[in-house]
Amino acid sequence: MRRAGLRCLASLGTLAVGLLLALLVLLALAPGSARAALPERYSAIVLQPAGGPDRAEFDLNPALDRARREKKRLYVYLGASDCPYCRRYEAFLARSADELLPQFNAHKFLLVDLRSRLLMSADKLFLRIGERSLPYADFQRSIGDERARLLVYPSVWLLDAQGKPLMQMPAGTGTFETVPEQLEILRLEQ
Amino acid sequence: MIPHRRRTLQTLAAAALGTPALWAQAAVGGLPSAAHNDSSPEWELLRDKLFGGRPVAADGSVVQLIAPLRAAYGASVPVKIVSRLAQTPQRWVRRLTVLVDKNPSPVAAVLALGPALGQADFELRLRVDEYSHVRVVSELNDGTLQTDSRYIKTSGGCSAPPNRGALQLIGRTQFKLQAAPRFGEINSAEVTVIHPNDTGFELNQVTVMYIPPHFVRTLRVSYGGAPVFDADLDFSVSENPTVRFNFVPPGPGELRAEVEDSHDARFSGALRLG
Repeated sequence: MRRAGLRCLASLGTLAVGLLLALLVLLALAPGSARAALPERYSAIVLQPAGGPDRAEFDLNPALDRARREKKRLYVYLGASDCPYCRRYEAFLARSADELLPQFNAHKFLLVDLRSRLLMSADKLFLRIGERSLPYADFQRSIGDERARLLVYPSVWLLDAQGKPLMQMPAGTGTFETVPEQLEILRLEQ
Repeated sequence: MIPHRRRTLQTLAAAALGTPALWAQAAVGGLPSAAHNDSSPEWELLRDKLFGGRPVAADGSVVQLIAPLRAAYGASVPVKIVSRLAQTPQRWVRRLTVLVDKNPSPVAAVLALGPALGQADFELRLRVDEYSHVRVVSELNDGTLQTDSRYIKTSGGCSAPPNRGALQLIGRTQFKLQAAPRFGEINSAEVTVIHPNDTGFELNQVTVMYIPPHFVRTLRVSYGGAPVFDADLDFSVSENPTVRFNFVPPGPGELRAEVEDSHDARFSGALRLG
């Protein structure tokens, strides 16, 4: 009886661990998870997509309006709630905030946080500037960005207040996840 | 490319891979950092093997390399070679060697040139597999060597998911003139070979097996039967190899490209002028 009770306890323990793991996975993958965002200290303009899963639109107009009013530029970050590389970049920004935040300000960048999911592929992700709302590849072509071929999460655009790219950015953020390299980006070094 | 030379380049590639990165400095975060004109262990080895003990100047008086610090994709880094002297019968660039230090096969292209180019400027796109210098070595007809280099920050150029949307078009070779032809003057043209230029490091996402290497080995361009340039290429050149070049057509004639790939398949394309 005592042995059966122990087995039962062990089973319950296994079940509890399993449930806990499942919960952690769900939390990590859940859209809008608290960790799936640029760090709060950067005071990013947060944009959630409008529309359904087959046509998710990010309207950049309010952010551009604010950039024009404040005579600033935009650092537009497209992250996905279920993308480990996004978490890595966000963690880098979080731990480097003391060094980077003054530099983002000095270079007059307003951060914009587009909150997406990996399911939002290039044909489903729309970006709006002015009256035009275009799917990812067409949007990229319309602004002369070479990254039309492949949507990579995370992605960053540097835009002036009219929505024109300040320089060609690389796909992904892997080449600017150190403070000196992030500063190269903010200085528009090409 | 003659077999002996091909073997030499393959040996160089293997040797370069096994060389420790003594020149790389660790930046914050551990990523390698270097200045545009720094040397590298791979370059030291390649210079010795390709050019022996000959001096290679780097004062910018003959050749300039233009490439972005970061490109949109590592599999397609735009590179422009600008020669600072005109091709004349007295003095001309006879060979350009394009290197990507840290690629699995670092010799991306060797272009043999003649005075008929008018101006030895070229543009092409390269795969860059990791943070690396891209270099060009310009050899003049008197044997003088000049180099220029750029440090490129990108990764995954040799293993990027392939874009295999037009396999039925493999080998289609097309010319494009930048403007209406002008005889007796320098014209700018572009030749493109539709080809996956598979590196052997790309993973088929469906079969989860590596796609065997299959790339354009040689591209020979002529006008009116006279050579414009001969290029020995490698998989460090991006898919659908495209070369922008100059040439001086003396009169009406045919611009022609002869192509051979690593499966010994041959293709050709032509454009009639005048």
